[in-house]
Amino acid sequence: MVITAVSLVIVSVGLALYMWYLATIIDKRFSARRWSMPSRVYSDSMLLYPGQTVNLTLFYETLHHLEYRDVSRKPELKGEIYRKESVLDMYLHDFTTPSKKREGFPVRIVFLDNRIASIERLDTHQDVPILEIEPEEIMLFFGRERERRRLVSIRQVPVYLTYAVLAAEDSRFYLHHGVDPRGILRALYTNIRHGEVRQGGSTLTQQLAKNYFLTPERTLRRKFKEFLIAISMELMYEKNEIFEIYLNEIYFGQKGSIAIHGIGEASYFYFGKPVQRLSLAEAATIAGLIKGPNQYSPYINPERCKLRRNAVLQEIYKKEWITKEERDVTIRSPVKPAGYTAYGKKAPYFIDYLAGQLPIFYSPEDLASLGLSIYTTLDTQVQKAAERALERGLARLEKANPALRRSEPEKKLQGAIIVMQPKTGYILAMAGGRDYSISQFNRITQARRQPGSAFKPFVYLTGLSDYTPSSLLSNEPKTYEVDGKEWQPQNTNPVVENGLRFRTALAKSDNLATVDLAMKVGLKRIVNTALTFRFSTPMAPQPSLALGAFEVIPLELARAYCTFAADGVQPNPLSMKAVVDEKGKILEQRHLKIESLISPGKAYIMNSLLRSVVTDGTARSLAWRGITFPVAGKTGTTNNYRDAWFVGYTPDILALVWVGFDNTDSVCAEGSVAALPIWAELMKTLPQYTSGSWFRKPPGVVTRVVCSQSGKCAVTNRCPEPMKEIFLEKNVPTEYCPLHR
Amino acid sequence: MLWIFVSGCAVFMPPPVEKSPEVMIAPSVKKPVSPEKQGNPREIASLQLTDQGRIFLEQGKADEAITALERALNLYPTNGRNYYYLSEAWLLKNDVLQAKEWNRLAELYLSDDKDWLKKVLDQKTRIRKLFR
Repeated sequence: MVITAVSLVIVSVGLALYMWYLATIIDKRFSARRWSMPSRVYSDSMLLYPGQTVNLTLFYETLHHLEYRDVSRKPELKGEIYRKESVLDMYLHDFTTPSKKREGFPVRIVFLDNRIASIERLDTHQDVPILEIEPEEIMLFFGRERERRRLVSIRQVPVYLTYAVLAAEDSRFYLHHGVDPRGILRALYTNIRHGEVRQGGSTLTQQLAKNYFLTPERTLRRKFKEFLIAISMELMYEKNEIFEIYLNEIYFGQKGSIAIHGIGEASYFYFGKPVQRLSLAEAATIAGLIKGPNQYSPYINPERCKLRRNAVLQEIYKKEWITKEERDVTIRSPVKPAGYTAYGKKAPYFIDYLAGQLPIFYSPEDLASLGLSIYTTLDTQVQKAAERALERGLARLEKANPALRRSEPEKKLQGAIIVMQPKTGYILAMAGGRDYSISQFNRITQARRQPGSAFKPFVYLTGLSDYTPSSLLSNEPKTYEVDGKEWQPQNTNPVVENGLRFRTALAKSDNLATVDLAMKVGLKRIVNTALTFRFSTPMAPQPSLALGAFEVIPLELARAYCTFAADGVQPNPLSMKAVVDEKGKILEQRHLKIESLISPGKAYIMNSLLRSVVTDGTARSLAWRGITFPVAGKTGTTNNYRDAWFVGYTPDILALVWVGFDNTDSVCAEGSVAALPIWAELMKTLPQYTSGSWFRKPPGVVTRVVCSQSGKCAVTNRCPEPMKEIFLEKNVPTEYCPLHR
Repeated sequence: MLWIFVSGCAVFMPPPVEKSPEVMIAPSVKKPVSPEKQGNPREIASLQLTDQGRIFLEQGKADEAITALERALNLYPTNGRNYYYLSEAWLLKNDVLQAKEWNRLAELYLSDDKDWLKKVLDQKTRIRKLFR
């Protein structure tokens, strides 16, 4: 008897000590971060304002990606939109960015053709001068578990959902203390009666204990541990707290390779809405999934899912938490999941570039677990437009010329596009290749390709110190010595004029005149210009340098052109704007940093010269391709047509397009044929970025009338073709035309 | 361990909330004003952001101001006030070099506006003093 009593005491003390040990483990686990939250990458927010021209197709696509749902009535809930003819009523989502928090409100946007005629708040009837739409989630940095989760508070969980989960999994949750003997006996009875395992006796707390602390093995020892942990948890935490952890922890199925965890994420995945807005039918469907998320998934087996939902509804009814009528109506309703797009990186090349820009102290593990929000400059509409324009353009080229077709996907014709805002360096879009799934090599940031004539503007810019836009350049064939060998530049298309004005030579991309200019200006000075413009690739002071016969990184070429469009100031390409932690604290903020490289006057003249490329030169086909607003730009083609380029810009936007093969096979076409049409197609789809404005003439630039033949000051009534030309004030021609004196 | 087997607390379950029926309402639309009659839309929108930037500056929030002003700049690059306020924001962040660059651009774009030019030149003087 004594021995038994002593043994009992020892066992009890041992058990108590073990439970105390478990309690410390539970406390440690729950007081620390409970879940790994992947960091989310967001695009830039979208601005809407009256008078703005909008690409309605891309606009509505973006709204749908932002989880706005079409309804057939006036929007009453956040995230609903109602379209009727030219009117869009929408109830905005709440949103938070590093600098602001905004509660959603209803607005009416009225369109006149493709333009926003007005924006009005429907609650206050005030006009809205500028409306910001929340940024789009473009990527999640997952950990190895690849879990996706949105945390919800118990207060957000609607009563239907609580009923449904309890009815489906543990209806006596609020009555027991972690372990439910009645439930165990009931499960035992059911299983014996049916001769198979039909029901489990685990409570929600036990399920949580198993998910959090134990392995899925089925042994008595593990079951005993589960039992003790569940009891400890119940002693340590409130019922609602345990229920909240359970709802956020539980597994709800797969979205491709991503595991959906927690009721918050499941609600979006299956019904495209937050938990607060789940109907009884939807709540019962989700609760029914817990038993077997993939077995009862409405995406995998809608019929089985419906049966399971109805079984849950029956359980809720049996507990008298809903009426018979509610049950019957709901049982008859269909299961209507929202549908989903399998998870895929949006703007994958941009994301890769961004990842490289993130501060080094964010390790991949931190990014996968800290739940950071990373705000970027990406415009998803521009990104989509760029990807589509590139794919269509390359397909067109292949269709037009069978020699460009390749059967092996990795050897196919390639292309790349970067779109930037030249004043700020914001990267709006980056398509580093044709298909990321086939090749992750980013041809915008990693490729080194010869720019060909796309480099000529930097030769002419160097020349502006000694020459003027009206200076005459020689285009006579000449032979130069390169590495001890003779080299004679040639034009792709013969130029008939003898002697070309500086402006015309650049517009027509005349190789002979450009090399002549480069030799006169000095090749070392051109190399210095390139270094000033931060080209990082090596270049030698050889005559062929003038024709872009060296390699550049396309991103650096785009950045260099931004300088012309930004009054001589070079912005740093900006992809990341801010990193914010889970609590909304800004950890990192990046701003545009500028540095003046050339005078605003020189930049203005370069813009004017490059405008001539579009109006009278190699890019004049832009006009018949539907580009009616003023554009400056330059085509580029390299030896044997290995590379085709077009860089075009306005004061508002700059885009660089490159087309070529990775193995440097010929694309059999010039920049104006291969790259320019892609640029034109892209710009036509982005009316919101093309204001039609042109650069403002800065002080220090003057206009004079010159003789078109001599390039000198025109003699009134004598020079037959006087013309206006712009000059740097310090470099104005003073001599009168010698030909018509 | 006996308490485990004892059932206790009552469950509180709030009653389900009834949803209001959906009502079809045809939108009544204000007669829109043609955007052309409203002036340059990008300029108007940009000025809103410029104003936001200015307010942030007055509150001493340099980063927020820069974010708003950068967007204003992207919308309407020839609005010289953005450059002026960007210079102020960088001064607030004690980055005199950036302040100088933005001031130079402000001077370029506000050279036709007497009142603003005076402000820009005052700013230039302040920056010069800081350089010394």
